[in-house]
Amino acid sequence: MTAMANFSWKWAAALLTIILALVPFWPGALDSYLFSFLFFVFIYAVMAQGWNLVAGFGGQISLGSHAFFGLGAYTTAILWSGNYLWGSLYETYPRIYYFDPVTMVLSGLVAALAAALIGLPLLSKLRGDYFALGTLGFGEILKVIFVNGGDFTGGAFGLVTPSSTFETLMPHYWTGLGLTAGTALAIGWLMRSRYGLALIAVRDDEMAASANGINTLKVKVAAFAGSAFIAGIAGSLYSYYIFHVGPDSVFNLDWMLLPLMMTVVGGTGTVLGPILGAFIMYAVFDIARIFVPDYHPIISGLTIILAMLFLPKGLVRKILPMSLARN
Amino acid sequence: MTLPSPEILLQLSINGALGGAMYGVAAVGLSLIFGTMRLIFLAQGAMIILAAYLVRALFQHLGIDPFLSLIIMVPVGLAAGWLIYQGLFRKAAAEEDRNISLLIAVGVMFLVQNLMTVIWGGNTAAVVTSYTASGIELLGVRASFTRSMGFLIALAGTALVVLFLRRTLVGKAVRAASEDMTAATLMGISPHKVNAIAFAIGIALAGAAGVAVATTFPFNPFAGFIFSLKALVALALGGIGNVAGALAGGIILGLIEAYVQFFISGGWTNAIAYGVFLAVLMFKPEGLFSRPYKKA
Repeated sequence: MTAMANFSWKWAAALLTIILALVPFWPGALDSYLFSFLFFVFIYAVMAQGWNLVAGFGGQISLGSHAFFGLGAYTTAILWSGNYLWGSLYETYPRIYYFDPVTMVLSGLVAALAAALIGLPLLSKLRGDYFALGTLGFGEILKVIFVNGGDFTGGAFGLVTPSSTFETLMPHYWTGLGLTAGTALAIGWLMRSRYGLALIAVRDDEMAASANGINTLKVKVAAFAGSAFIAGIAGSLYSYYIFHVGPDSVFNLDWMLLPLMMTVVGGTGTVLGPILGAFIMYAVFDIARIFVPDYHPIISGLTIILAMLFLPKGLVRKILPMSLARN
Repeated sequence: MTLPSPEILLQLSINGALGGAMYGVAAVGLSLIFGTMRLIFLAQGAMIILAAYLVRALFQHLGIDPFLSLIIMVPVGLAAGWLIYQGLFRKAAAEEDRNISLLIAVGVMFLVQNLMTVIWGGNTAAVVTSYTASGIELLGVRASFTRSMGFLIALAGTALVVLFLRRTLVGKAVRAASEDMTAATLMGISPHKVNAIAFAIGIALAGAAGVAVATTFPFNPFAGFIFSLKALVALALGGIGNVAGALAGGIILGLIEAYVQFFISGGWTNAIAYGVFLAVLMFKPEGLFSRPYKKA
């Protein structure tokens, strides 16, 4: 029975992905509001999924997602505007950095490396709230470093990448959709693997996990670095959309707070929760922004409070069969 | 670079310590709330700025002197803290998932920030009184009068909280709950009661800090978040759960900021302050003032 339910839910998700992938071919879709709306939902869903890996499955509340998002965006902008990667090839192919997989993966790797470097000391000594405070501090430090980075980071203004490469929003849309589906599949698979079980064991009872031979530090740092990798790639994708990477925009706390909020509303520690949460919460924020622009942050604030008071376990656990919600 | 004269160093230290005391009083509130609820109350800074706006409104519309408004702000803060806990956090405090309380705090922060913007506008505001520019001159060093008053408020507020925690039975219950909520509950302490008391005192302190901020700094609705962050740094420096340490942590942070601003540059103050914060969390997570103890 549950196997059957799982099966049909998987098919439904696959079908939805295919439908979403075909949206750009709908006449007029490219110019519609819905299209850019979906693009942002994808970015937030990816960010939420990344946070969910370390916080939802790993139990370590990171408040530094915006730091890794910004690092990814900056890595892409620095590589591109300084042409550090492709050398003379750049003159032959002026669009080589645009949606370049190597640049995007490098952006994720830089973020992951930074997470591993600060994760090792932070996660070995600090638990829970200390880790949360430390990651929050790290984000603020990075912001100041990038403001003071001189020509390399473009200072307080940031860096501009050649926006002449922009033609349509299609690559953004598909990459966003691909990343959303890809991270969900990867994390779903990971959580069924030996590593995923170890991560959940560490979350539920660190001492028992350690007693059973799990290297808890390694497991936690890996989850933190993995989540940073995802955030870094999301940042890279955003830099291809915005073409101007500045400290106040990419290190903005919203890149941490909103995905966190979306994950919790959708359901922490579930694979589908972050996606559902991103969709619903971004819709709420956007509707409020369009119809009551002066009051929209008030409505956002109220929504979070109400969601937490009445839906503390997340939507996914309310609407989906238990077996699926768990994973 | 030549070393500046001792007068300048003394002046820097005084300015830094007086300014830092305000982070300290915010940190004391955070420390209390964190102690019993294990909640990082990110909205504390927004509460302080809200209090500052209220102080300004009392001054402008009713002509009440900012320092006199303490006798209004503190009781109002106590009541507001109690209500906020009962209305918003009571249910979440019972949940094991502490994300929920954290997110409610974030929601409160958004709400308060933007309510202030709607009511008072997003521009920078200040309270200017007849004594705003006056100072106290001592041994060739000048201390601003309002900053000194702010320092005294911080000192008195912290002293009262310490006395309350040490000398009263309810204070003892709060301390017990901060150390081990489960054990405290088994001894008959109601978790909701101590949480609500911690919240009430925390917000009352925000009210007092609002008076100090309103009289010393220009402020705007969004200044609160930075204030919360600085208070967190102060909290970590002093050691989580150490109330007097939180005030000392704030003063140390103020000193660090003043020195960095003078010797390096204003642009680096935040990075260095947070760098110190990270270093303390890494190497001395129990704070600068407590003896290390091992916990499983």
